[in-house]
Amino acid sequence: MRATPLAVVSLLLAVAAPVAYILLIRVPTVRNHPGAYVAAFAVALALAVLALVRGRGRRWPAWIALGVSALLLAGGTWFDLVVARVPMTPTVLRVGERPPDFTLPDAEGRPVSLAQFRGKPVVLVFYRGYW
Amino acid sequence: MAELQGLGAELSEAEKAGVQVVAVSPDPNERSHTMAKELHLGYRFLADRDLAVCRRYGLIHPRGGPNGEDVPRPATVVLDREGIVRWMSLSTNFQVRPDPGDVLRAVRALGA
Repeated sequence: MRATPLAVVSLLLAVAAPVAYILLIRVPTVRNHPGAYVAAFAVALALAVLALVRGRGRRWPAWIALGVSALLLAGGTWFDLVVARVPMTPTVLRVGERPPDFTLPDAEGRPVSLAQFRGKPVVLVFYRGYW
Repeated sequence: MAELQGLGAELSEAEKAGVQVVAVSPDPNERSHTMAKELHLGYRFLADRDLAVCRRYGLIHPRGGPNGEDVPRPATVVLDREGIVRWMSLSTNFQVRPDPGDVLRAVRALGA
């Protein structure tokens, strides 16, 4: 088993995983499984280790693959488990209860209240604007 | 808004006409409007600039923004015709939003 092809596969996997996640962010199944890119980094790291331990021939591509995949695995795990985690905060929303009414301006500045939509099912979405 | 993708495609025209989407964000930007138009959903974008409503609802991710500012905790809530909460999903990871299929089922369960 030659080291260089394994190292190349490791590098390709490590780079392709986050690129694919970002490109397919609009596909709910992809977006909702960020752990998949972390798993891909782990596989890339395993391939790089395999290339170093078992591979023949040049070693430097395997060392590069090892460095890249280790950095991405550490960074990806930190992002997914620490940065992206939203703390559980107490909310007043309860299934079976009516949430407090509010009035907010719409895009044209006209006041809109939640109560004015009674009579219609409402999907109420709180989001960040940029994401 | 990502959670709404797929919802528009799966609802019938009559269902779209019967469902009101109310989207609350500190920054209801142009991109959201474009997306909602593409979905052909009845929608209203409301600006909660100082996060007063998010705070009152307990939907704040403290210092979760790109510059360390407070941002909304992503949440999707389905209310019935009487304004009672029938289904909700609160994000525990900001990358993860409810599956549009789950929102769709919750809406259809109301007979929309």
